[in-house]
Amino acid sequence: MTSDPSAPYTSPFGGGVGAKRRVRGPSSAPSVGQGPLTLTLSPKGEGTLWPHLGKALLSLAAALVMGSAAIAADVRIGYLGLKDDLRYHPEVAYTRIEIAPALNPVEGARLGINDLKIVTDAAGVSLSLDEQQATDAADASAKVAAMAAAGERFVILDLPGDVAREVVAASAALPITLVNATAPQDALRDLCQPNLVHTGASDRMVADTYTQFLRHRNWTKVLILVGNLPRDKEIADAFEASARRLRLDIRDRREFTLSTDPANREANNTLLITGGTDYDVVFIADSLGEYARYLDYATRLPRPVIGATGLTASEWHWSWDRDGATQVTLRFQRLAEGRRLMSGPDWSTWIAAKSIATAYAKARTDDPAKVYEYMRGSRFTIDGSKGYRLNFRPWDGQLRMPMVLATSNAITEAAPFPEFLHQTNELDTLGVDQPESKCKAP
Amino acid sequence: MIDRRTFIGAGAALLATAAAMPAARAKGTGMIFVSTEKGNEVVVLDQSLNLVKRIATSRRPRDMHFNAGKDLLYVACGDDDAIDVIDVATLEVVDSIPTGPSPEVFAFSPDEKIIYVSNEEDSRLEAIDLETRVSIQDIPTGAEPEGVLVMPDGKTAYVTSEVADMVHVVDTTTGAVTKNILVGTRPRRFILTPDQSELWVSCELSSEIFIIDTATNEIKGESLIYVPDGFREEDVTPVGMAVTRDGSKVLISLGRANHVVIVDARSHDVLSYVLVGRRAWSVDLSSDETKAYVANGLSDDITVIDMASMKATVSVPVGRVPHSVVIDD
Repeated sequence: MTSDPSAPYTSPFGGGVGAKRRVRGPSSAPSVGQGPLTLTLSPKGEGTLWPHLGKALLSLAAALVMGSAAIAADVRIGYLGLKDDLRYHPEVAYTRIEIAPALNPVEGARLGINDLKIVTDAAGVSLSLDEQQATDAADASAKVAAMAAAGERFVILDLPGDVAREVVAASAALPITLVNATAPQDALRDLCQPNLVHTGASDRMVADTYTQFLRHRNWTKVLILVGNLPRDKEIADAFEASARRLRLDIRDRREFTLSTDPANREANNTLLITGGTDYDVVFIADSLGEYARYLDYATRLPRPVIGATGLTASEWHWSWDRDGATQVTLRFQRLAEGRRLMSGPDWSTWIAAKSIATAYAKARTDDPAKVYEYMRGSRFTIDGSKGYRLNFRPWDGQLRMPMVLATSNAITEAAPFPEFLHQTNELDTLGVDQPESKCKAP
Repeated sequence: MIDRRTFIGAGAALLATAAAMPAARAKGTGMIFVSTEKGNEVVVLDQSLNLVKRIATSRRPRDMHFNAGKDLLYVACGDDDAIDVIDVATLEVVDSIPTGPSPEVFAFSPDEKIIYVSNEEDSRLEAIDLETRVSIQDIPTGAEPEGVLVMPDGKTAYVTSEVADMVHVVDTTTGAVTKNILVGTRPRRFILTPDQSELWVSCELSSEIFIIDTATNEIKGESLIYVPDGFREEDVTPVGMAVTRDGSKVLISLGRANHVVIVDARSHDVLSYVLVGRRAWSVDLSSDETKAYVANGLSDDITVIDMASMKATVSVPVGRVPHSVVIDD
């Protein structure tokens, strides 16, 4: 669409187009839905997505009713991280120069609660975070069970994939919604567990962002480099699956090693590992980033590198300056006391907290089961400051979102790309779509 | 620099309206002012859309309003925390009023003694005494306040919070928020119908227009969603609005759907969808209401709409990221 089309399209007097009126006002809104700020305290939790809800919720709701006439509910939201999470260590060169600061995505969740405070206050709900760190998977499962026993009904999981998987399995029957913010594994999405949603991008969404970009640029010949860690293989597998679907030409997939052992130089020398074949672009799957750091400008052919270095796909980059993104980044920076800029995992925990808070504010009920039902429903819309309205995919609970492709200091492109159309929602061109998913919409 | 791009088939209409313009103009210079967020300038065009001047301003100029006498133009400049003042006769920046961080949208009190400005970064609606330059009220709002509207009696101000999805009702005497009205997602701007009974609010990300009854401050009826042919509801991101003086028509920019919709203000029926530039935002009407001007943020141009035929007649490149258009006529 350009500003000077040769024939401006108009539809005079609405012929066949007409105004679309959606009744979303108080007059005929159902009991769960956006409307004016009247609190309906419902002691019932039937017809919900939670199994085995039982008496815990009844007594919780009863307690809320008895609390105060005007302002009712203190709601604790669990936040569970992992002590010493490898993913968030500061990136440190062996000389102990810090390349990038340590991450602590709980700051994103704190920002989300702060951002929505005025609206949750007005709705009579006071949200706070119960921040905890587990030592391992067993401890994490125990902590989630304890949160549920203490009456918490939502927990944001900031855990690596393997730990998250155990916690999710152990918590299937608990009356608590698990909001997986930072584990990107598609296997978690394939669990189709009713009390589980995901606010970070899946591996496949990240992979589709790269492959749409390659199609968009018509860079179709790809050399894949992959490390020997299981996580590296997951990333490369997701990329390969996506590349196959978009009929990209994978010239080779080669495993790199970090040593400089001359006997193994075909796998560690950047010029040798990128030689012997022609390609438009190199994709590198390197979860630690130590090999990728030395790959830019060091390939046999003068070709761009994407993935762990060069151009990287993420939920967020601080340089996005549209859609109110700058304000989010600056609020985050103030909250983090200037230590660091907002990253992808920070966005995922921010939007997790924001989703829960928005659902509490707008569901017109403080029955947590109905709040969750509203959050998963088609009427739920949330602003992720990326220009699109976001909501959860009904089949697997994955948050729909646009993705950014950024260099170290600028966003080069954002996905979905305009060439990739979809029959219902363009955001569903990223990630596992309904027909391919193992999950069924409720 | 400024060259004219005329739509094929619309040239005749343009010439006809252009010829009719001078007679309709009793006072005012007829100049069109466009603020460009990344150009750090206010671009001035004459009625024939020729470039008159590029006025360098403080950084990131956005919302603009004339004083009642139309001899001064106020421009909120987000990245320098100031509202610049342009002398309309000389086209020079003659003054700069300091504000809180990142001023975006503002409104005057009816007596023009106070400016109410939304400071996007510290989530406040600030009231600044124009004479003393002192901030006399600092009203906390939800995060990212944007649209500001002061009622003609000066007693009530309305401000949106883009993050809290709310309209705050502010008692200007006490500076207190007296009510929060929950609306759609990412509420942006207001218009008040000429009879002052209805306040319309554009909600960018839920594609909705909410109408607030100013007598009760309750949402009136159903929210409205306008979807041009070939677009999906989620493509529609309404922001800017304008209403005719007789209160019969409302223009709403549909953002990413690249159209402006002209609707019957009473029946809410669509009168026309007008294709304009990319990410259409602010809309303003000329005072004789023969033309509307739309700022297209992502195609760096403005589009002129002929209100009689309700068609786009021309788009003119102006500068980087046009934000608002106002007309001195």
